[in-house]
Amino acid sequence: MTGLMHRSEVAVSVELQTPDMTLNIGPQHPSTHGVLRLVAKVDGERIEEVEPVIGYMHRGYEKLAEVRTYAQITALVNRIDWVAGFASEVPFIVAVERLTGIEAPPRAQWIRLILTEMARIASHLVFMSSYPLELGATTPLMWALRERERVLDLIESVTGGRFHPNFNRVGGVKPAAGGGSKTKKISMDLPAGFFAQTKTAMEKVLHVCDELDELVTGNEFIKARTVGIGVIPPDKAIEYGLSGPNLRASGVDFDLRKVEPILPYDEVDFDVVVTTSGDCYDRYVCRLEEIRQSARIVLQAIDKIPSGPLQAKVPRVLKVPEGQVYVRHENPKGEFGYYIVSEGGRMPYRLKIRSTSFSNLSILPWLLEGQLVPDLVAIMGSLDFVLGDVDR
Amino acid sequence: MAYDKSIRPPFAGLWKGMWATLKALFRRPPTVFYPEEKEIPVPRARGVISLDTEACTVCMLCARECPDWCIYIEGHKEEVPPSKPGGRPRTRAKLDRFDIDFALCMYCGICVEVCPFDALFWSPEYEYSEYSIADLLHPVERLTEWLDTVPEPPALESS
Repeated sequence: MTGLMHRSEVAVSVELQTPDMTLNIGPQHPSTHGVLRLVAKVDGERIEEVEPVIGYMHRGYEKLAEVRTYAQITALVNRIDWVAGFASEVPFIVAVERLTGIEAPPRAQWIRLILTEMARIASHLVFMSSYPLELGATTPLMWALRERERVLDLIESVTGGRFHPNFNRVGGVKPAAGGGSKTKKISMDLPAGFFAQTKTAMEKVLHVCDELDELVTGNEFIKARTVGIGVIPPDKAIEYGLSGPNLRASGVDFDLRKVEPILPYDEVDFDVVVTTSGDCYDRYVCRLEEIRQSARIVLQAIDKIPSGPLQAKVPRVLKVPEGQVYVRHENPKGEFGYYIVSEGGRMPYRLKIRSTSFSNLSILPWLLEGQLVPDLVAIMGSLDFVLGDVDR
Repeated sequence: MAYDKSIRPPFAGLWKGMWATLKALFRRPPTVFYPEEKEIPVPRARGVISLDTEACTVCMLCARECPDWCIYIEGHKEEVPPSKPGGRPRTRAKLDRFDIDFALCMYCGICVEVCPFDALFWSPEYEYSEYSIADLLHPVERLTEWLDTVPEPPALESS
């Protein structure tokens, strides 16, 4: 140790007994993506220990779900991870469908697939905007959010909501409102011009990826802040239960869209993006490539989408038989699962939400130990969590 | 993924950033100046709920299915004299109160979906912010006013 230090520093550390300082970061801090509080014990610039304090955004969805019908829970679950609301709706609906034995018609499943991938693009574009911002670059924020707005507008034109689509129903997608004579014939199929607009939007998204490649990926300041920082080895990543791009950046080839597809992912052609070194830079690159893959999936899906009905036959009062089911799906952030225990009836007995960000955040104390305080923001941002998803 | 991780000598990135800023200066901005210019919401946008009092039969389905119970309905039965002489007098449900508290509403659209008589509609209007939270409780009169702003459903993608 002394060999690396300058002589003057050695003298100081001998004379001064510097006690560890406790640094409180958050809960209201611009780089914590919400209300995460970190209690860090620092020795100068080194972090010795960090403890995330969560729960500031606890809304109790698991408990709320016990006194809500399945249709009402659908409106609640897309508020868990609001950056990609559609992606957290799909596994819940599929779980209820598995319990009841209803299967959605193919066209509805393809609409779900298209909108899930659009939600993934929107979520990753938020990362593409917020991560360089945390590292000190403001231009990518504007560029990425501009294209994200295009994607959100398309989601809104189909579902009626930008963030909270509430579009999936058991046995299909949202039916026409009511049963009266006026709205009986209204279908909630894709609106006219959707395919053409999607094609343009995907081209723009791919274009902004190239722009970001030029501006951010090759930038030496970004590289200096991220290359070799916050390295997660594959065995640690598996140990802490990471999933999604955080796991794949460490070199583990695991994508639930390939392993356990709950939507017709086996009919589209895409690559699972895996990078090897597991540092902050790789996690960034992994997400950037995933946007390209998602755009590829959407472009294939709008060519392949079959015609047909949108809704299977579902009883008016949905009673779910007794049973248990766990359905997981690849959220933009990783594995997102619902464990439903049903004792029969209109409401679940228990709904356990396996939210991605909560599991991804669990590696933070291990990862930040021994890192420098300026790297804290870079490492925390690279994990890409949403506090609503952490606290539920 | 072949990404170059080597760090080149500085300033190249700086000039690239400056060049991007210069190019963006001459680009049309994607933003709109809100009070003067307005974006037109899509027809399916969930802006505000409107009520057709003629169609409402006070069945309370919407109030019961609402996940956060923000719809308040009161009504009574009244007798309608027979339309033809010698006919039977009929009872008809009469709406006394229909309030939606938009401070509580989470815009899920379940009430519109379950209404069996087409009394509720989504309107994409969004300019109804208030200084007091109590004013967000829209009574029948305001809910029926929104009815004029309900758009036609959009044409569908031919499949």
